[in-house]
Amino acid sequence: MTDKDLISKLNTLKNVNPDSSWLTSNRELFLAQISNSGADKLSGGQVFFINLKSFLKASSQPVFALGVFMLVLVASSIFGHKLFSQAKPNDSLYIARIISEKAKLNTLLNPEEKNKLAVKFATNHAQDISAVLSDPSFNNEENKDQVAKLSDSFNKEIETVKKIVNASVAKSYKTETSTNEPVEMSEEAVAIATEYKTEQGIQIKENEASRQAPVINAGAAIKTEQTTTSTETKATSSVEIKVEAEADAKINEADKIIDEAKESFNNKDYHSVIDKLNEVTEIIK
Amino acid sequence: MPSNIVKKFKNKQTLSRLKSRDKEVFTEVYDANVSDIHRFVYFKIGSREEANDLTSIIFLKTWDHIQKNTLEDAKTLRALLYKVARNAIIDYYRERGSHKPISLDDEENPIDIAADMSQSDKIDDDQDLKRIVSKLPFLKEEYREIIIMRFINDLSLEEISDITQKSRGNVRVLLHRALSALKDLIEPKPNA
Repeated sequence: MTDKDLISKLNTLKNVNPDSSWLTSNRELFLAQISNSGADKLSGGQVFFINLKSFLKASSQPVFALGVFMLVLVASSIFGHKLFSQAKPNDSLYIARIISEKAKLNTLLNPEEKNKLAVKFATNHAQDISAVLSDPSFNNEENKDQVAKLSDSFNKEIETVKKIVNASVAKSYKTETSTNEPVEMSEEAVAIATEYKTEQGIQIKENEASRQAPVINAGAAIKTEQTTTSTETKATSSVEIKVEAEADAKINEADKIIDEAKESFNNKDYHSVIDKLNEVTEIIK
Repeated sequence: MPSNIVKKFKNKQTLSRLKSRDKEVFTEVYDANVSDIHRFVYFKIGSREEANDLTSIIFLKTWDHIQKNTLEDAKTLRALLYKVARNAIIDYYRERGSHKPISLDDEENPIDIAADMSQSDKIDDDQDLKRIVSKLPFLKEEYREIIIMRFINDLSLEEISDITQKSRGNVRVLLHRALSALKDLIEPKPNA
């Protein structure tokens, strides 16, 4: 007999089975015994959880670890900012909030948007510091080092707000002047504009009452041209002056409120600080 | 690779559900494995009545083991059942105080082949098979066990390796030796 024949014969023995009546009776007895030891049907939720755990474990250790890591990464990117944004300056998660805000700022390409958000963050920080310091259970002799640190941080945040406000308010007005919106001009500028458009392409709205035709002759042409240039410059300058004046007024207003906020902070009037900073936020909107 | 993950998943899922005392899954486990375990025990100890009792004990012990342990000692549930079965048989021999082979074609305890056997040749008609079955108990315990697991119950080399705590290479060598030994019993070589 060859090995193959022997194995083939041995295989036929797999048809040897226990008696069917014994199988049935033993099954019932066995199920009764395990029920007595606490066996029962699992709920759908329990089965789902077991299936998920088993799948992750079956994938392999590195895949399981990677899956958990990806889940934490996605969850923290979705919920992380919401979580950190509530962290106060004396919380352990505050640093995470700062990092999260910095990351958000770095993702913005538009400088205007970036400045607005930076001011918002700095203002929020200053307000949060004020809120923390207004709490007598924190602002005491025991925490004087931390209070001093927070006061320094407040001053830095305020300076940041001032700097960015000055830059962003002035820039926003500069941006306004370069648009194609019609701008009211003086009578001389209107007269010239009917013949000459500015290089920047500003459309000049005609003021009917002040229309004046230029005198055209050889000598006068040169004179007109010179007059044109100087009038044109005057017209442009007067618009810019008006715009700059408005920008300055806003900056002065913002600066004034920021200084008032600083004063209130030094006087430990923290609620007033928070209100003043809210006003600053409104100005730069 | 995917079928390997599916197998691993099913195994981990079954073990986890058993650990959670899921009656439904243990019923499935019982139904799927009771005949194999009974056959393994029967061919090891040679008595149908004893095999019936031992099979019940083996399943109860497995259930108990799963509840009390971390399940790190068996890669699959089937391997765990066989490990418990081997230990139960060792306890049985210890209690009996004897380890002599028992003939499987004992007239008082004839092999009771199931009526729904699929082979066209029944054992009584197959002299070769009859001879094999009669000589099986005289094999060394280790050889008999491995022949039952591999050629009668169709366990894989990996499963046998896990159950016996031997390497796959050792299992292959053991199988070869076991077959040779059985062949020598069935067809003894004439003396030179």
